[in-house]
Amino acid sequence: MTSSAPAVKDQFALSAAARRTARRRRRRAALLTLPSWVMLAALFAVPIVVGVYLSTRSDKIGSFVPGRGVGLDNFRRDVFDQGFVTALVTTLIITVIGLAIQLPVGVGLAVVLNRNLRGTRLFRTVLLLPMLLTPVAVGLMWRFMLDADLGVINWLLDSVGLSRIGWLGEKWAARVSIALVDSWQSTPFVMLMTLAALSTLPEGPHEAARVDGATTWRVFRFVTLPMLRPVLYVTLMIRLVDSLKLFDIIFILTRGAPGRATETVGLLTYNTGFNFLQTGRAAALGVAVAVLTLPVYVLWLRAQRAQQ
Amino acid sequence: MSTTRNARRIVAGLATLAMIATAAACGSDDKAATTEPVPVTTAAPDTPTDTAAPTDTAAPTDTAAPEDCGDRGDAGEINIFLIPSPSSTAIQSFIPSFEEATCIAVNFSETPYGEAHQKQLLAYEQGDGQYDVAQFDNTFLAPFGAAQAMTPLDDFLADSAEYDIADFSEGQQDYGKYEDQTLGLTLSTEPMIQWYRTDIYDELGLEPATTWDEYLANAKAVKAAGKGDGALIGFGPGSSWWFMTLVWSFGGQLYDEDLNPTVNSPEAIAAMQYMTELFDTAPDGAISATGDDVMFKFLSLDIGSIIQYSGYYSFTTDPAFNKFVGKMETAKMPLGEVDITHLAGWNIGIPSDSENKELAWQFLEFVLGKSNAKAYLESGAAAIGRTSITTDAELLAEQPYLELLTIPETSRIERYPQLKVWPEMDQAITQAITGILDGQSSVEDGLNSLNEELKPILAAENG
Repeated sequence: MTSSAPAVKDQFALSAAARRTARRRRRRAALLTLPSWVMLAALFAVPIVVGVYLSTRSDKIGSFVPGRGVGLDNFRRDVFDQGFVTALVTTLIITVIGLAIQLPVGVGLAVVLNRNLRGTRLFRTVLLLPMLLTPVAVGLMWRFMLDADLGVINWLLDSVGLSRIGWLGEKWAARVSIALVDSWQSTPFVMLMTLAALSTLPEGPHEAARVDGATTWRVFRFVTLPMLRPVLYVTLMIRLVDSLKLFDIIFILTRGAPGRATETVGLLTYNTGFNFLQTGRAAALGVAVAVLTLPVYVLWLRAQRAQQ
Repeated sequence: MSTTRNARRIVAGLATLAMIATAAACGSDDKAATTEPVPVTTAAPDTPTDTAAPTDTAAPTDTAAPEDCGDRGDAGEINIFLIPSPSSTAIQSFIPSFEEATCIAVNFSETPYGEAHQKQLLAYEQGDGQYDVAQFDNTFLAPFGAAQAMTPLDDFLADSAEYDIADFSEGQQDYGKYEDQTLGLTLSTEPMIQWYRTDIYDELGLEPATTWDEYLANAKAVKAAGKGDGALIGFGPGSSWWFMTLVWSFGGQLYDEDLNPTVNSPEAIAAMQYMTELFDTAPDGAISATGDDVMFKFLSLDIGSIIQYSGYYSFTTDPAFNKFVGKMETAKMPLGEVDITHLAGWNIGIPSDSENKELAWQFLEFVLGKSNAKAYLESGAAAIGRTSITTDAELLAEQPYLELLTIPETSRIERYPQLKVWPEMDQAITQAITGILDGQSSVEDGLNSLNEELKPILAAENG
């Protein structure tokens, strides 16, 4: 007991010193990361908290009368309302049509480009161009092209004897047009992600499948695609989130018309806040959209973990 | 080799396309100012502006040189809020001569229409005098007025011989009024008028319509003769503007004095019925045609006639925009049961929180006063309906439509509904019209349900 006491004391002193060092390190680390936390709080946490607070108030831009607390009235009036449900359904419809185009086309293009055929580099560059344009420019360009009377697309249909389509004037045509324009700009992203993943896949399983007599389609279907799944999952989630918050292209192409056939939740929130000047109601819509989108973020995080 | 050449062509083509699209995105509908404003001798800073003698000449080049007031900014500084438009471009062209004449420094900023009024309201809410002069759409007169965001200009107007409010017809003097106070000067006078293609009308022996029945008959005649589409009005986003015009003209109103909606009255039903008949003579893409589209389709397609605001006139004389220069003329909007003039256009005023109201008024007087009215018009702005302008023989020879800006006393002037809830009403009306035009509902059913939809919206006006 007596002989071991100093050793224990030394050990205790050592561990106390180690703990002090560790504490100092933690403090230093916290200090070094503090600016980032402050930035995050200023840019994300504060606006979220203010947004939630506003959603419970009756504030209006330009009313010059301070708003008052209205509890959940804004949610009752605007979120649990037919207009919001319709906008949500429209958002989902445009999202589903868009993803149904972007994923197969993007993966298909990536597979073709991965074969390094002649002209691959040129086509890869050309195919990436839409991604480099701003959505507003893309919207304007397509708005002219899709114009029922003056647009080049109806002119082409006319010249091959097909009937004209009211691309932006008919409910379903307008929804499909928006999904097509978004796909034109976003498919290169899917292609790029898939292409990057394809270039990292091991050649062994493909060789083995081919030796076993698998056709090109079966190799793709049963070897390549399963190996791509984690990347495709992440890509799908990113595109899903982007599609749900799609705004600029719709704003330029249709502004929600015909009627409210292409009014998405993003556009509805914009109209409520900046057209009707109802800040509180718009904040409630924003909070509702954030809550509804939350599961997608959870899935996205899971997908990322799966990929890692 | 040929593959490489083709590839280069594709890349070059796409690059050009991208550049065009980017340029289109960055462009605006501004028309470049063509004429430098001619400085008029204005009152020296800190002296009453109404002492400046108004001149009869539109471009008073022979006026005395401005007094030496010092350097730019010596007499103060004002900040101007503008919205991209030909009017804004014209105002900017006056700034150098104003600064030279008065030594008042003028700073300006432009904000796109979509955010302009919201930004103004936020600035006025803060109340720190960010802007001394602000351009705004007449549709925002009510929210600005209700918020007491703009300075009443009546005292300035009463004392200003240079501005000379009497140069406007009585009805037009009220254009910037909200609850009997003038909160904005007229920055453009844009009544809805009739535009027609002279080549098509001449060929078919048609005359510009004087009544709505004639207008529809003309449209049907053009369509039946295969000369193009009969007529176009705003059937898409913004269709409420044309709907309300027809309702007023047919003798109805959108709501009564107690703010009860009346869009299912017999007059409103007749107006909507008329709209659907006119729709049958319109181009294929009419249902998605915005206000701008109405004009630009008319400038590019064979369409017999349109009803549109006069502010677009400068496009019709410009070959860069118009395929049919020299083949278009304007006439008064057809008459219905009631002679009405749907008047639109910009306003400009002095925010209540401005700390430089006198300087701001000097600027407004300089740009929009009677002396510079002609120079203002010639600098590319949409016309202001001053009597001295609309009866100027020289100007009328160049721009015959100016005559239509003189609104006779017999015609009742109607403006956008001066309601805070107008944006919500506008959306509901536009949605209902789309539903009726594409056959989702009958005229009566569509307007009945619109009437129900408008009740809570209008009830919120005073809430």
